[in-house]
Formats: sequence, C-alpha cells, structure tokens
Amino acid sequence: MGGVLVRPIILTVLIYLFLKFIVPILPHSAPLPSSLIFLYLMLTTAGIVIFETLSGASKDAFFGPIFRFLTGESGGALSSARYLVLALFPLLVGWQTYGSTASSDAPPAENRTIHPAPPGEYTGLSNPVPKTPDNIMYGKGLYASRCSPCHGNFDGKGFAATGFTPPPANFKDPTTIAMLQESYLFWRIKRGGVGLPVEGMPWKSAMPRWELELSDEDIWKVIMGEYDGAGQKPRTWDESE
Amino acid sequence: MARVRRPGTRWWVGAVGLMGLCVAAEVQPAYSQQSVSVRAALVKGALPTDDPTAAAWATAAVSEFPMSPQVHWPVRITEVTAKSVKVRGLHDGTNVAILLEYSDPSEDPEDAAALEFMVGDTKAHFAHGQPMAQVQGGPVNIWYWKNKDSKGVDMGAKGFGTLKPHAHQDVTAKGVFQDGVWKVVFSRPLHTEYLEEDTQFKPGEFASIAFAIWDGKKTDSGQPKEKGSEKAISSWWYFRADAPPDYSPYMYAVLAVALALGFELVLVRRLKKGS
Repeated sequence: MGGVLVRPIILTVLIYLFLKFIVPILPHSAPLPSSLIFLYLMLTTAGIVIFETLSGASKDAFFGPIFRFLTGESGGALSSARYLVLALFPLLVGWQTYGSTASSDAPPAENRTIHPAPPGEYTGLSNPVPKTPDNIMYGKGLYASRCSPCHGNFDGKGFAATGFTPPPANFKDPTTIAMLQESYLFWRIKRGGVGLPVEGMPWKSAMPRWELELSDEDIWKVIMGEYDGAGQKPRTWDESE
Repeated sequence: MARVRRPGTRWWVGAVGLMGLCVAAEVQPAYSQQSVSVRAALVKGALPTDDPTAAAWATAAVSEFPMSPQVHWPVRITEVTAKSVKVRGLHDGTNVAILLEYSDPSEDPEDAAALEFMVGDTKAHFAHGQPMAQVQGGPVNIWYWKNKDSKGVDMGAKGFGTLKPHAHQDVTAKGVFQDGVWKVVFSRPLHTEYLEEDTQFKPGEFASIAFAIWDGKKTDSGQPKEKGSEKAISSWWYFRADAPPDYSPYMYAVLAVALALGFELVLVRRLKKGS
C-alpha cells in the first residue's frame, strides 16, 4: 500500500488515543462512552475520505493502494496482511452481530444526573448566618455527628458509605461543592435524597431529609463547616455571571 | 543472516499494532470487581428451597455486596455485625430461590435477614418505599426471616411506619447457622396473582433488590444488638432470573459472516475486473 494512507491512519489513531486517554484527564472532563468515541472516529473517517477524494487525481491516489491491496496486486508481505484482513472482516461483522443481538449480562445503564437543577425556591439563596469562627466550628460539630458517618473526613469515605450506591459525595473533589452555590447545598441537605428530581434517581439516594431533624440555621452552619473542612469555597453569583 | 526489511512495509506493522492496542483498550471485562447484580440461573429439577447447604448452591454464581449501618433515618446505628453479604440465586421457571450468606459470630433467636424489591414498574425508595418529593413512588415488597420464627414472611411497605405482613403469604425461608456463618434461603413463585403487592420476576429482565441483616445478639441491657431500624442495610442493586437459552444470536452471527464473505468476494472480483 502506498504512503498516501499512512497519514490518515496515523491521524485516526491519534484522534482515538486523544479521545480515549487525554480527554478524561482534562480538567472538569470525564471518560467518553465508547459509542461517542466510535461516532467521532466515523466523522473523522468521513472527513478524511471527503478530503482525499476532492479531485480525480487525489481520489485515485487514495483508493488505488486500497484496491491494489484488496486484489492482491501489492504483493510481498502485504499478501499475508490481505488474507488476514479478508478473514478478520467477516469475523468482526459476526462478532458485532452477536454482540448486538445476544442478551447482555450487564444491568441497564443508569444515566443519573449528579447535580440536577434545584427547585426555583432554592436558587440564589444567600447564607444568612454570619461566617464567624464560632459558627463554622458549630457547623463542623454538626457535620461530625450527622454527616461524617457517610461523608467521612469530607472525602466521602465514612464508615457507613460502603453499602450505598451512589456513593456519598467527596467534598474535597473539585467537581462537587466547589462548583456549587451554598443555596444548592441548602436544598440538598434540607430535602435530602428523596427531594431529588427523577433524573437524580431519588429512590437510590441514602442522603437523609435533614429538615426533619435540623433547623434551617443549623443547616446553613453545616454548609459553612463543610466548605471550611474540605478547603473549598462556594461558587458565587459573581463567578457564575 | 541479517534480516532484510522491505521499504514501506514497516509502517503498517506499527499501525496494525496501534489499532490492536486500541481494540484491546475498548474490551471491557465481563464483570467488574464489585458485584452489581444477582444472577439466578435456570436449573432443571427441584430447587433447594429448604436447604441452604444443598450442593446445588455451589453451582450458582455468587455476588457479594457491602453492607452499611443504617444511618438514613432515626433510630440510627453506627456499628453493625454484617459487613457484607454473599448472594446466590436459582430458578426453575416456576419458583425462585435466593440464598444469603453472611458472617455472624453467634447464633441468636433474634438474628434476622430480609430481601427488598420494588413492585411493578414504579420506582420505590430503598428505605421502605418512603415518599419522594418530585417522583411518584411505589411500594416495596419485603421478604423477612427471623431465626426464632423459622419461616419467611411476605411483607409490604410504602413509607416509614407502614410495614406490615401481606394478607397472603407465599414466601418461604430457612436459615442454617454453621461455623459463624448464616445461610438463609428465601423462595417464592416467580409470578403471583398479587400484582399490587408482590414483585413479579420476568426471566431475562432486571429487577431491583436490596438487603437487610440484623444481629440479634443480646446486649447487657437485654435488648438485641440490632433491632428495627438499627440494622445493616444496602441500597438498590440488581437481580435477574436467567431467561431460557436463546440460540438465535449465534444464527444471526453466522448469517452475518456469510453475508460479509459474499460481499468481500463480489467486491474483490469487481475490483479485479475493473483493474
């Protein structure tokens, strides 16, 4: 096969490696699902084919090596590779067909929204409790007795966390309370897991409904204690504008 | 003898290797390290519904789930005996049997265990089907066993304080304590006529399941160490009774291979004619 195919293949592989291994480690990113990576690679391939076939000459230069490879005219070591490709292609098609028609042992996929939108009345509330050392300390005390069994030392690894799915939030993780406003935490603590909308899968959450046991003032103090203990700052309106 | 490389052949070896690595990276293990579901295999012959130590259980796939002290609602508990529970399942197309296995240093009359299921397609909160603010929840079906009663109880709840036995009773349970381990088997028909109260198992489909365990050892106060809401719990996991074998995917795969081979033959012949 000619060198004209080298660049497209390398480009496709590089894009795959970027999507698979680089994107997940970017700040505020997450691993991409295989279906999305496949879609991106298909788009890449389509773009390459369009680019390489813009003119008659480039079209021949692009498809020529492929056709010679498939017909066995390339000769040499590529003949072995040709038989390999011709044998593997039907097997790959069969494997994909089996995979898409056989029943899966995997449970149904759960597209749980980790931070669903709060009800309107919990949007933009300000913490009415003065941020004094005493109030922070009081909030940390409440946190230790009420929250730490699951949320641990602000890291989501409390002694009671193991049996719950989804696991309790890790407040030291920059993708949790650091990207939320205090009013959001007030809603989550006050109404608990059962206060979540359907996309938050409230039926699975072990977060207690603390409004039944704590006053609003105590909840605000817990929030201050949480941020202080986790070494995080709440997202503010100024930053979100 | 020195090896002679043909110019222009080295790149594709590397490319194939890279693509192989990519494919390998995409392949996921069949089961993750932590269990997320219980699988009840379809078996022929009698189910070991009254024998938690039957040899048939050795053939069943085992799943293990971590347990937490119940800290979700009062009265809470901070330390429980059962740290995890191993679960196996079997069914014969008519009845299903589910075996729980967990460590407990002593056999006590108040030792107890329970399974919990959602009822129907309506989601229910794992804590006794308590009401949810923005989701219309459904009831839960609870299968309960206590050592001193030596039987299974079919119960239902839709919120705290609503737990009560059903008027109909179709759950059996039996526990055996050996060497610091409880083995408790629950059994019930896959389908019942009580659609509003009982969970119904459709082979091949996933249902939600949760677990609860009480260590009934008496404390100095004379009360059981774990009782009522003071227990070891899990939130929802999955349960599935296997469907009967379906060989059609193999047939579809063979057909796809034949079609792909035919496509290749036609393509190569056309290309050769064209060239």
